[in-house]
Amino acid sequence: MPKFSRFKHKPLFICLYSIFAIAVSLGAGKMLAATLEGLPGSLHGMIVFTVLLHFQVFDAQIIKPAITWIIQHMGVCFVPAGVGIINHFELIQQHGLAIVAIIFITTFILLTFVGLCCEHFCQNKTVNKQPGG
Amino acid sequence: MSFPASAADILTSVLLILATITLYQSFAWLQKRSGRIWLNPMLLSILVIIPCLLLTEMPFQQFYRATEPLNMLLEPAVVALGFPLYQQLSQIARQWKVIFSLLILGALLVISISFCLTMLLLNYPQIAVSLSLKSITTPIGLALTSELQGDTSVTAFAIILAGLFGALLGPAWLKAINVHSAKAQGLAIGAASHALGTATISKTSYEHGAYGSLALIISAIVTALISPGLIDYLQVFFTGFVGI
Repeated sequence: MPKFSRFKHKPLFICLYSIFAIAVSLGAGKMLAATLEGLPGSLHGMIVFTVLLHFQVFDAQIIKPAITWIIQHMGVCFVPAGVGIINHFELIQQHGLAIVAIIFITTFILLTFVGLCCEHFCQNKTVNKQPGG
Repeated sequence: MSFPASAADILTSVLLILATITLYQSFAWLQKRSGRIWLNPMLLSILVIIPCLLLTEMPFQQFYRATEPLNMLLEPAVVALGFPLYQQLSQIARQWKVIFSLLILGALLVISISFCLTMLLLNYPQIAVSLSLKSITTPIGLALTSELQGDTSVTAFAIILAGLFGALLGPAWLKAINVHSAKAQGLAIGAASHALGTATISKTSYEHGAYGSLALIISAIVTALISPGLIDYLQVFFTGFVGI
């Protein structure tokens, strides 16, 4: 369970306030998606949520612990979608290696492109000489 | 959206959701304890649930219907990602030109190459859509995949793999090609390996983490904006081209 006790608001209030803020943003996002088309409603909702937080319509300090908890645990929601790979045994048997190779190659192309371009074109004031880990 | 109808269905649904959450949490605990990035709870849960479904001969559709409430939480999860975006706004405002141009070019490059390679090797448009959207964070990747008629399960799997490759080999690779600044390393890992990569690189320094999360958020938004048009164009190009 989320550890909300160290925050000044009561856990129930934090939960309800955050659910309300997210529901309002999602609702507005879905309405936007219905009129604008193109992007999914949830993405419009994310942008609405950011704008509402920026203009302090919702108090970011109250929402913060709930969002930290959501982001930490949201991975479980993607498991059922991932299990759907079960329907693709034939595809994996035939092309599994090619698919992994495409993912591997394109990930490294993107890493190299962004890394090298930023190293050359961004103003890098801090240089990290520490090895990772 | 279909809800379970009978009491037995509701019971199955509750049990399967509880089992999925318990499994995921156990792997999450294991990963936290061992500190090994490849013990990814999402990947391991999927790899355990698949043999279970095969052994019990439960069709995937039944499992998917029973765990639908978990799926319904995907939309609010995407909205919640607006919070880190809000936290990064001041940083974005200061350097938006360079960061946006770099990430837009990066997204254009990776979507085009992934789509073309998949079409040339596999000639399978649905999978090409899924693999094109693998560099961004899962909730947005899945939302875009359903919007663009890709295959969500392949996208989910590809996103985890892209995350693992970047998280495990990315930092060493960047050093090997002489990319040393925290900004360049953070942006590259965040753009290519989303949250998984960012979580790993955050351990190096706070700056790495900040740029990693900045890149993962902007990449997701940029991809959401350009992918519908770009993928449509590529699909028309390939179906016309291959169809001849």
